[in-house]
Amino acid sequence: MTPASIVAAQSLAALLRERTVLLIAGIFTAMVLVSAWMGWSATATVNGIYADAVIYLQSIGQPVPANPLGQTSALGVLRNLTVYVSLIGTFAAIVTGQRLIEADRRAGVLPLIAARPPARMTYVAGKMQALALATAALVTLAAVISGLTLVLLPAIAVTAGEWLRLGGFFLLSWAYVTLFGMVALGAAARIPATAGGLLAATILWLAVTFVLPALTGNVNPTAAINPISALVATPETPVFTILGTVLGPVSLSEAYAYLAAGLMGYLPAGLVPRGVVPPFLSLIVLVAAALVFALRSGLALDPNAGGPDA
Amino acid sequence: MTTTTPAIVTRDLTKSYGAATILHPLTITIPRGEVFGFLGHNGAGKTTTIRLLTTLLAPSAGQASVAGHDLATDPMALRAAIGYLPENVRLYDRFTTQENLVFFGRLSGLSDVEDRVADTLAFLGIEALADRRVGTFSKGMRQRVGLAQAILHRPELLFLDEPTSGLDPMGVRLLREIVARLHASGMTIFMNTHLLSEVALTCTSIGVLAQGRLVYHDRMEAVTAKYGDERALEDLYLGVGLSEVTA
Repeated sequence: MTPASIVAAQSLAALLRERTVLLIAGIFTAMVLVSAWMGWSATATVNGIYADAVIYLQSIGQPVPANPLGQTSALGVLRNLTVYVSLIGTFAAIVTGQRLIEADRRAGVLPLIAARPPARMTYVAGKMQALALATAALVTLAAVISGLTLVLLPAIAVTAGEWLRLGGFFLLSWAYVTLFGMVALGAAARIPATAGGLLAATILWLAVTFVLPALTGNVNPTAAINPISALVATPETPVFTILGTVLGPVSLSEAYAYLAAGLMGYLPAGLVPRGVVPPFLSLIVLVAAALVFALRSGLALDPNAGGPDA
Repeated sequence: MTTTTPAIVTRDLTKSYGAATILHPLTITIPRGEVFGFLGHNGAGKTTTIRLLTTLLAPSAGQASVAGHDLATDPMALRAAIGYLPENVRLYDRFTTQENLVFFGRLSGLSDVEDRVADTLAFLGIEALADRRVGTFSKGMRQRVGLAQAILHRPELLFLDEPTSGLDPMGVRLLREIVARLHASGMTIFMNTHLLSEVALTCTSIGVLAQGRLVYHDRMEAVTAKYGDERALEDLYLGVGLSEVTA
């Protein structure tokens, strides 16, 4: 094992013993199950109505139209997943990122680690590796539940292309939640106060999820997390046009919703993203920025600050 | 590096935060095989000195060599050669002693980490703690597990920061015996303390730090010859320290 892997393995083992992290991961999994059930329930209802309609239309000699479910994207039944990724997935990543540093600080082991041969870069790399693996595990769990839902749902045939796009959606979700985790990890490294890192990352998350969509597209907070109502065109007023252009590239939750809708096949026809930067590029740049922030903050981590007696 | 290289050599080692100087230029040489007692009042700069020598803090000025490795140019080799027990060590509460030590052993690059952990626990007489969670331990038990992580990789030089702080008399005696055994095995020990009794019983040389300045440094025999018993040592400590404080 490399020193970074040793740090990562220890960090993951510590996370598995953290009640808070496990609780939030459990809630996320439960909500993914709810999302799957809602998709299954909606499909079953439509299928039931369609079956009754077929019997009736045949009895009166009328032509039977195709099942409406066949006209829409099969992946659309999982659209509620974007809500849970945006809300609970990101928050789980934030708590995980913060705990990865804070747990070591509270345990008073930072000086013990820093007084050993591995360089600070190795420690930070190990922590970032642990975070990426933890969020990957969370998203993989959601992917497995979603995949099983699609396989078990009657009347939904998922094509190979749709499976690929579903994979792309979970890759996108992993990058999105990990971004917030990295910000929390970096903030926890920079701010020795116990709640400081958590608060800083949470405020950023709140701003990105609720405030920016309101400024760029007049999307109210509740609509901002709705996979359908969040996807609206920029209001045609000078203020929103300017704000949409300026803030659009950093309005992460909107970029995520836009890309997720595109991958899942429910993006409204003709809807253009805000700003001049394509959402995919925005996301790539901001993920890279979060990684750099986490790395630089980790390197600046003071092993003597804070700690169990602070 | 040879075995005749001093364990610690500092030249004008200084630490300042803005206008406040915590450690004034410190020049000191500590030979190998010593148990060096670093005395001083709270806030005198003892912990800062240890943090500088263990690479946990970057000096504002000056140079230092620890176990033959330069602080600025060879920090990784320096870290590989030292062990460090901070004051109030905690460790991972939810992990057992064994799990904690295996982690720190692996970070120190030990390949035979399981064997080393077993040997170290046996050396410290705490085999019974191996499978118990550290979070359930008393202060004294934690201190010994903390000491285990510090000596696990057989360092040439061991830094102990107030190792007896918060320990009961039995714990203090146990720690004293362990320090004596480590010294007998050839390890150099640098110990911050303000317990004069510990210095008198354990150390082979002492330094006194007052307001960030080294105001006294000599071998223990010289101190004993000059000042006699422990009470005289106390007079020396308080006299040197207080004269600095009131100067």
